[in-house]
Amino acid sequence: METPHIVKKFDKNLDKIKSVILEMGALVARQLEDASEVLFAYDKKEVRRITELDLMINGFHKDVHSRAEILIVRRQPMAFDLRATLAPIEVARELERVGDYAKTMAAFAETFDESPPASEHIALINEMSAAVLVMLGDVLQAYLTGDIELAANVRAQDLSVDILNDKIRDSATKMAGDSTHDAKACIYVILVAQKLERVGDHITNVSRYINQVYTGDDLKRSL
Amino acid sequence: MLDPIISARGVNVFYGDSQALFDIELDVLPNKVTALIGPSGCGKSTFLRSINRMNDLIPVCRFEGELTLSGQDIYDKSVDVVALRAQVGMVFQKPNPFPKSIFENVAYGLRIHKMCTAKSELQDRVEWSLKSAGLWEEVSHRLDEPGNSLSGGQQQRLCIARAIAVQPKVVLMDEPCSALDPIATAVIEDLIDSLRKDYTIIIVTHSMQQAARISQRTAFFHLGKLVEFGETKTIFTTPKDERTQNYITGRIG
Repeated sequence: METPHIVKKFDKNLDKIKSVILEMGALVARQLEDASEVLFAYDKKEVRRITELDLMINGFHKDVHSRAEILIVRRQPMAFDLRATLAPIEVARELERVGDYAKTMAAFAETFDESPPASEHIALINEMSAAVLVMLGDVLQAYLTGDIELAANVRAQDLSVDILNDKIRDSATKMAGDSTHDAKACIYVILVAQKLERVGDHITNVSRYINQVYTGDDLKRSL
Repeated sequence: MLDPIISARGVNVFYGDSQALFDIELDVLPNKVTALIGPSGCGKSTFLRSINRMNDLIPVCRFEGELTLSGQDIYDKSVDVVALRAQVGMVFQKPNPFPKSIFENVAYGLRIHKMCTAKSELQDRVEWSLKSAGLWEEVSHRLDEPGNSLSGGQQQRLCIARAIAVQPKVVLMDEPCSALDPIATAVIEDLIDSLRKDYTIIIVTHSMQQAARISQRTAFFHLGKLVEFGETKTIFTTPKDERTQNYITGRIG
C-alpha cells in the first residue's frame, strides 16, 4: 500500500511482521535445501541440526501470530490492512508446514544410507527439490514486493512439481516390483516425492494469500 | 431487491454560497441499518438532516434535488414538516431528554400528534416504547422521575423510546454512541439491531468498527460527494474506490 498510514507505527508494525515472515521463510528455505542435500549423503549430526531448526521455525510462527494479534487488538485494521495483517498468520502456518516436511525428509536420510535408491530416482528427487526451492524463493520475493504476477507464476510452477511426483511414483512403483531393486528404497523415494509435492502445495497456498492481500480475491475459496 | 424507502436523486445542499452536498444519488432499503461514514465536514450529517428537514431550521441552507420517503417528495410544499418528523424520528449525538419525567418524555410526541386519546392507551404505548428501547425493566418503578436523572446510556435509550413512540418509518441517528461508554454503546448497538425489524435506521458514525458491526449497508461520503455505497461487508473488506480504502484504513491525509 503506497499511501502511508496516519499512524506511522501501524505501517512500522506491518513492516516488522513482513520482515519476520521473510526471516522465517529464509530459514525454512535453508532447512529445505539442507534436507535435500543430506538426503542422499547421510550425516547424523547434520540431520540432528536440521531437525532442531524446527524449534526456531515454530518460534517464528508464534511470533508472527502474536504480532498480528496485537496489531488487530490495537488498530482494528480494515480492508487491505486487515488482509495484510491476517495473511502473515496463514503464511507463517504454511511455512511452518514446509519446515515440518523438510525435517521429515532429513530423517529419511538414514534409510537411504542403508538402502540406496536408484540413481535415476536420486536425480529426479534432486530435480524436484530444486524446483520447490525455486518456488519458495520466488514466493518470498513476491511477498516482499507484493508482486502478484510473480505469485501467479509460482502457482504455475507447481504443475511441474506435480508432474515430477507422478513420474517418480510410477517409476518407483514399477521398480519396487522388480526383484533386482531394493523395494524399501523405492517406497521411501515415493514418500520423499510426496513430501516435496506437499511442500509445493504449501508454497502455492502462500502465493494465493499474497494475491488475496493485494486483490481481495480469495483464490482458495474459489477453487 | 427491496423497494427503497428513501430515495435521493441529484441532491445538492448549500449553506449560503458554500455547497455541502454534490449530486447525491442514494437508495435506503427498508428494515436495514444504513451507516453514513466519512471525515468531518464530508456532508454525512447534512444528508441525514435533509431527510427530516432539520436543515430547514438553518436560514442560509438551501436544498436542491429530489428526496422521497415511500415515494412521496419530502420537500414538496404540501408536506407538513411536523408530520414528516413523526415519520422520520431522530436521535442525536448527545442524549437530550426533555426536562420532564421519564413518562412524559415518551408521551410527549404521542400527545403532540394526538396519537392516543384514552389515558390507558397512552400508558400502554409508553410502556411498549420503553420496552422496545430495552429500558422498561430499569425505569418501570420510577416513571415520574426526571428523564435527566438517568445515566447517559439510559438517557439515550429514553430518546430512542421517545423517537419510536410515534411509530416512525425511519429513525435517524447522528453519532448516538459518541458520548457513551463501551458498555452503554454495546447496549445501544444491540438495540439498533433489534429495532431494525420494525424500522429503517440511518446512522452517522465516526467509528468504522461500529458501522461494520451494526449496519448492512454503508455509504462513504468525502468532500460532499457520495464516493461509494454498498454492502457493509464489501465496503470494509474490499472497497472499490481508493478514497474509501484510504479512509477506512486510516490512510487519508
